Amino acid sequence: MWVYEKKLQYPIKIKNPNPAMAKIIISQYGGPDGELGASLRYLSQRYSMPYPELKAILTDIGTEELAHLEMIGAMVYQLTRNLSPEEIKAAGMDAYFVDHTTGVYPSSAAGTPFTAAYIQSKGDVLTDLHENLAAEQKAFQ
Amino acid sequence: MTQRQKLMQQIAAYDFAIVELNLYLDTHPNDTAAKRRLSDSEHKSRQLRAEYEAKYGPIVFRDSPDTRMLWIKNPWPWDLCEEGD
Repeated sequence: MWVYEKKLQYPIKIKNPNPAMAKIIISQYGGPDGELGASLRYLSQRYSMPYPELKAILTDIGTEELAHLEMIGAMVYQLTRNLSPEEIKAAGMDAYFVDHTTGVYPSSAAGTPFTAAYIQSKGDVLTDLHENLAAEQKAFQ
Repeated sequence: MTQRQKLMQQIAAYDFAIVELNLYLDTHPNDTAAKRRLSDSEHKSRQLRAEYEAKYGPIVFRDSPDTRMLWIKNPWPWDLCEEGD
């Protein structure tokens, strides 16, 4: 189980809204190499890990990825505050806006909704750890 | 930066050290130097959290009649403006 802390892992205070930036950053929320995928990948794989150290570290990293998810959500939220229809259009955010207004929806920058197809959980320790190395490399790029 | 934000920033710094040291100790549970650093950071974080919670309301919810309203109260962590601060 989890216990919520009413704080962000690192405080987010964005003074100037920037919908064009939000459109890019949303990929780190629900895109192919985003935080939602990262957290679900680790938290799903941990059940079949054969060593206690790996159950511990996947639980703890998966939990930290959820904290990252929350920070990215806060960034998207703050970047899309108080926008006029003109600003939304000029930033190219109109396609997002028509379906979600300024709600934070897990999707990639190109608008593909989040899918569990971004992650893998194979029940084999070496396969899953290779999946994770590749995932972190992609997220880092 | 408000006093509240400054305090939260300090808490975040110690908590970041706690998270990272915990991850390291998951696979290196016998490293006594890391364990000492972890317990120092936990001690500092506990002190700062107590100060923050006394001034601004709970970070982790524990039920009591006066914390219930403070738990619900804005700002939530993603909010930009801090009402009454």
